[in-house]
Amino acid sequence: MFKFGDNSPPAANQECRLPYRTFPATFQYPAVEPGTLGPCPVGSDALQGIKRQQTNPSRWKGQGWQDFAAAIRTAGTELREQAAARGTFATDAGGTSYGMPHGVVVARNAGQIADLLRVAQQFQVPVTVRGGGLTTEGESVAFGGVLLDMTGMSRVLHIDTDALTVRTEAGIFWHSLAEELRRSNMDYLSAPLNLTSSVGGTLGVGGIDVNSPRLGCSADQALSLQVVTPTGEIIECSDTKNADLFQRVILGYGQFGVITEATLKIRPYTPLRMHYFYYSSLRTAIEDLQLLDRNDASDYSGILTIMDCAVNLLVAFDTDEREAEFKANWQQRLRGYGEWSFALHMVGRYALRPWKLAEAWYLFQRKRELFPELHRSEYMRDNLMFDRSVVFSRAVWKFWGCKQMVIPDLATSADKFAEAVERGNLVCRKYFPHYTLYLVGIKLRPEHRPHYEMSCIPADAGDWAYGCEFEPMIDGKVYSRDHFQSFKNAIYDIGVDLGGSYYRFGGMMKGYIRRVFGDEVVDRHLAMKRKADPAMILNRDVIF
Amino acid sequence: MISTNDHAACSGCSLCLLVCPMWRHSRDIALSAHGYAKALQHGASANDIAAELWSCTLCGACDPVCPEQINVTGMILDLRRRLEHVGSTTVRARMESEALRPLAIQHATVKLLPDQALLESPELLSRIAALLGIPVAEDDGADIALAVEAGIIIQPQRMQRFLASWRGLKKIIIADGLLLKHLRQLLPAMNFVSLGEALSTHAVVRRSLRATDLYVIEPRAYHADFHRLVKHYDRLRAESGSAFNLDLQRIAIPATSRSLPQRLGLIAPDDNEQARWVLHGRRISRIVVESLEDRAAFEKITDIRVVHLAELAEDKVCGK
Ligand SMILES: Cc1cc2nc3c(=O)[nH]c(=O)nc-3n(C[C@H](O)[C@H](O)[C@H](O)COP(=O)(O)OP(=O)(O)OC[C@H]3O[C@@H](n4cnc5c(N)ncnc54)[C@H](O)[C@@H]3O)c2cc1C
Ligand code: SF4
Ligand code: SF4
Repeated sequence: MFKFGDNSPPAANQECRLPYRTFPATFQYPAVEPGTLGPCPVGSDALQGIKRQQTNPSRWKGQGWQDFAAAIRTAGTELREQAAARGTFATDAGGTSYGMPHGVVVARNAGQIADLLRVAQQFQVPVTVRGGGLTTEGESVAFGGVLLDMTGMSRVLHIDTDALTVRTEAGIFWHSLAEELRRSNMDYLSAPLNLTSSVGGTLGVGGIDVNSPRLGCSADQALSLQVVTPTGEIIECSDTKNADLFQRVILGYGQFGVITEATLKIRPYTPLRMHYFYYSSLRTAIEDLQLLDRNDASDYSGILTIMDCAVNLLVAFDTDEREAEFKANWQQRLRGYGEWSFALHMVGRYALRPWKLAEAWYLFQRKRELFPELHRSEYMRDNLMFDRSVVFSRAVWKFWGCKQMVIPDLATSADKFAEAVERGNLVCRKYFPHYTLYLVGIKLRPEHRPHYEMSCIPADAGDWAYGCEFEPMIDGKVYSRDHFQSFKNAIYDIGVDLGGSYYRFGGMMKGYIRRVFGDEVVDRHLAMKRKADPAMILNRDVIF
Repeated sequence: MISTNDHAACSGCSLCLLVCPMWRHSRDIALSAHGYAKALQHGASANDIAAELWSCTLCGACDPVCPEQINVTGMILDLRRRLEHVGSTTVRARMESEALRPLAIQHATVKLLPDQALLESPELLSRIAALLGIPVAEDDGADIALAVEAGIIIQPQRMQRFLASWRGLKKIIIADGLLLKHLRQLLPAMNFVSLGEALSTHAVVRRSLRATDLYVIEPRAYHADFHRLVKHYDRLRAESGSAFNLDLQRIAIPATSRSLPQRLGLIAPDDNEQARWVLHGRRISRIVVESLEDRAAFEKITDIRVVHLAELAEDKVCGK
C-alpha cells in the first residue's frame, strides 16, 4: 500500500536503472517558502490602477544543473539543451507566461520518468510536466529545470470493447485516442473541445465537454492510473488500490505524481442529433440549460454566446429515442427561438435601435463565418453530426485560437451560476468590445468528493457544478499584459466573492489559491505535497 | 489561394501533430511542423534542424489543419532550398541530361504526366492513358518533381524543355501530388487535375467501387486542394459506401512514409507501420489505391487484394 512520504526502495519488479537513494536529511527548503508571496519586482508605476497578484515567488536559478545533467545522461536519458528544443516549450496556449527550461526530456516510459524524478530529487532540480500545453496561466511552462514532454508517451495500449475500457499512455491527445477508438466503433466519454489536450494533463485539471452535464468531467472517467510519484516510485492506483494517491492525482494539477498510463471508460460511438435554440437573455438561457440538466432531458447541452444578446443553447442526443422524448416533453418548455424566428426577432430589435447597427453588423458577420463551419457537409449526414469534437474544436481554434488565449473562467454551484455569469459578462463588456462565453454543467460523482477537494469543483456544489469561460475576441488587436491581467483578476475576484472555483486555478493565478480555498485546506495539501515531494520539484510553480 | 503566413504565426496548438506521419512514427515534436516553427521562432537556422527537415515526407497533411493558415509545406521547401542534400548532385545531373534530350511533341489538348512509380509500370500506364483517352506527356518531369522535393532550383533550360511539350494544352492530369502543387503555383492559369481525381470521376471506375472496399487517396494532391476535394471524395463515399483512408478530420492518412533520403534510395523505405495504421481495425475485402507506391506498401503487409483505380473496371469484369 502506497503512503505519502514513504521512502522505501522500489519493488523488485519496477524498472529502475539507477541506485535508489533516500532523500538527504540535510535538505534545505527553497529560500522563499512555497505558498508565500515574495516582493513584487514590478515597479509601482507600472501598476497604476491595476490590482495585481504577484506570482511565482521562488524561481529556481540553475544550481547544480551540470551535475544533474551528467547524472541523468548516465541513466541513459536523452536531455536536450539546444535553444531550439527548449524554446519550443517557452510558453503555453495562454501565451502570456514565458519561461525557459534548462533542458527537455521527451517521455518514453515510466522507468525513464522514475529515474528522472529520483535524480531531480537528489539534485533539487524542478521538473515541469507538459501534455498538450493548453493551460493559459503558465502551469505547463517551465521556469528553469527540466521540461518533461509527455507527448512522447502517446500510444494506446489496449481497447476492451466488452468491458468498455481503454488503457492508454497518458501523453496521448484525446483526439489521437478518439482516432484509435473509432476503428473499433468506440468513443471516449468526455474531453475538452480542442483536440490537443492530453489525457494526463486533463485528468489533472478537469476536462469539460458538452456531455459533462450527464457524464461528468474527464477526470471522473479514469478507472485507474499508473503514476510515477515525485520520488520516483511507479504505482498503480484507483478508487480501491492506493486510493490515497488516486484521490490526490486526479484533479491534482500534477502535484503528486506524473500520470504515465490511464485506464478510462469508453462507450460505443454515436453521431449526434443537434438542436440549437437562440436567446436574447443570458439568464433565461441559463435557466433553461439547468432545467434540461436537472431533468436529464438531453445527452449534450451547453451555451455559447456571440454577444450577450445573442445566446445559443446547444442541445443534442445520441439516439432517436432520446431526441423524441425531448421533443415530446421538453422542447416546448424552452424559451429560446429557432434560427429564423430569432433572426426576425433581431431584425425587430435593431429596427428600434438604429444607433446599434454596428452591433447588428458584427452579429451578422459572425453568424456568416461561424455557422457554415458548424454545418460542413462532410460532417453532416441525414441531419446527424459526425465527429462533433472535430467540428467544435476546429471552430474553437479557427475563431478563438491565436498566440495569446486569455480565457479566465469561473465554476460555481448551480444556484450561484447565473449571478456569476452576469457579473463576469459585465467585466468582459468593460474590457473588450467582443467576447464569447461558453457555459456548461458538470455532473458530480458523490463518491468522488475527496477528489474534488482543492480543485475546479466548488466545495458547495451539489449534484452539478457549472462553469463559464470568458473568452475575449482579440481580433488582431494588441492589448498589454496588464490589461489582460486586470481583466482576469476582475473575473477571478467574482469567484472569490461567490465562493466558487476555477477550471484553471494554478500558475499565474496562484495568488488566488489561498483566497479561494482558505489556509486550512491549502496548508493541509501543502503538508501532503511536502511529504510526497520533499524537494518540491514536481510542477513547483503551479499551486504551492 | 496559398497563405503567406510563415513560422512566426505558429501558436503551438499542435493540430499538425495529429496528422503528421513523421510525428506518429517518432512521437517527437521536433519532427513536426510545430517543432520546425517553434525552433525557428527561437532562433534556429535551417542548418540547425536539417536532419528534421529532410525527414518530412511532404504529405501536406499539416497544411489544411493549421488554424493559423501557415503554408507549412511551402515553409519546409523554402528551408530545404537553404540546405544542400547529399543526393542533390544526382538530381541536378539528371535534370541536366533531361534538358538535353531531344523531344518529339505530339499535339493534344489534355495530357497525362505520370510519376516515377507509373513510369516503372508501363503496362498500367498505358491502361490509364487508354481509360482516360489521353496521351502520356513526352516529358514526364519526374526529375523536376524530385528537385522540388530536394529544394533544388530548377534550371531554366530544363524548365523550358518541360514546358515545350505543353503547347496547346488545356488540361494536364498529374500523378505526382507534389509536382501538381508546385505547377499550380507556377502556372495558375493552367488546369491541373490529379490522377486520383481524374480516375475517380470516371463513370466506370465509380461504378466499380464497392461498400467493402478501402479507397486510399493519394495524400499530396488531396491536401494541396483539400477544401474542394474533401467534398469530391465525400460524394464518392456516399455513392459507393466504401471506406476511405481519411481520419476524423477528413485528412488522408498516408500509406507510406518516405523521407527524401528514402525516396532517393539512400535509406531503405519502411512503410510498414504507416500502412498498418491505415488498415488497423478495418473490415474490408479489397484495397483500391490511387498511387502505385501505396500498392507496394500494402502488398508487403496484407493478403487483402490491392488494385489500382485503373484496374477496377477489369476487376469488375472478372468478378474479383
Ligand atoms: C483553445 C482551448 C480550448 C479549450 N477547451 C477546453 C474545453 O472545452 N474544456 C476544458 O475542460 N478545457 C478546455 N481548455 C483547457 C485545456 O484543455 C485544459 O487545460 C487541458 O485539459 C489541459 O490538458 P493539456 O494536456 O494541454 O495539459 P497541460 O497544459 O500540458 O498541463 C496541465 C497541467 O497538468 C500537468 N500535467 C500535464 N501532463 C501531466 C501528466 N501526464 N501527469 C501529471 N501532470 C501533468 C501540467 O504540469 C500542468 O500543470 C481549452 C484550452 C484551450 C487553449
Ligand atoms: S508535410 Fe506531412 S510529414 Fe511533413 S510536417 Fe507536414 S504532416 Fe508532417
Ligand atoms: S498547426 Fe500550425 S499553428 Fe498549430 S502548431 Fe502546427 S504549425 Fe503551429
